[in-house]
Amino acid sequence: MGELTVETRESGDVTLVYPAGFINAHTVRTFEGEIQKALDRRCYKIVLNCAGLQYIASAGLGAIMGAIEEIRGNGGDIRISELNETVLNIFEILGFHHLYRIFPSEMEAILSFRGEGEGRA
Amino acid sequence: MRARSGTPARKARTRRPAKPALVLIVPSETVFLSLVRDVTKRMAEEAGFDAATADSLALAVDEATTNVLEHAYRGATDRTVELRIEDRGESFRVDVIDDGASVNPRAVPRVDLRRYASERRKGGLGVHLMGKIMDSVTFRRTGGCNVCCLVRRKTPAPRG
Repeated sequence: MGELTVETRESGDVTLVYPAGFINAHTVRTFEGEIQKALDRRCYKIVLNCAGLQYIASAGLGAIMGAIEEIRGNGGDIRISELNETVLNIFEILGFHHLYRIFPSEMEAILSFRGEGEGRA
Repeated sequence: MRARSGTPARKARTRRPAKPALVLIVPSETVFLSLVRDVTKRMAEEAGFDAATADSLALAVDEATTNVLEHAYRGATDRTVELRIEDRGESFRVDVIDDGASVNPRAVPRVDLRRYASERRKGGLGVHLMGKIMDSVTFRRTGGCNVCCLVRRKTPAPRG
């Protein structure tokens, strides 16, 4: 049984990533792979819509941390939306809410990129 | 007539955990991490923690188990990990036990999140999370096994 699915789509120059299920040491490669595909396309404006994300362990948080240097180095960012209480709590425990901008809705996260210049190199 | 060792009367006088431990033995494969998480969460809720705290406790145990798979067993999938989950009345305790390579989690450098990405570090977040969630995280090597003992009090300890 698959414990994680990750879909992506584009909204203008913003890549929307939808992880659904669990991100832990068992599933993290799937998640990393989708982030890497965006980077391979030189898409550096990424919204992680976590509406379907039930749980994330340090493996998943490490995957985000592993990509952020390259993303921000190319003028982009990972912005996060629609965290459930469980995942938000994990973000807060680790202090991720100080490092990443978190939005209640996907649209707010997308709009936060508008007017920030080119994020796709 | 005097109560003898092992009788109910004797047991009643002996200080014991509030409930017997639940012992879970899982193969050393990451696919079982979600089972570890589900069982831990259920036990934490049975012990009286709210759902959000139970989720956190399950995360800490997931992290401890992941550490065993990655470091003590180095990805080998033919071993087992034993978890002893106990409601000890005033606290909730989980021992994560493996018979893999001796590891020293204290050797893991402290995580500074603001520098983590630029240092291109891999790992270390799990131990950091465990320390943030639990009141006590201890490691010992005994009888050829690594034992990671995670304890969370039911009433918050005063933080210095």
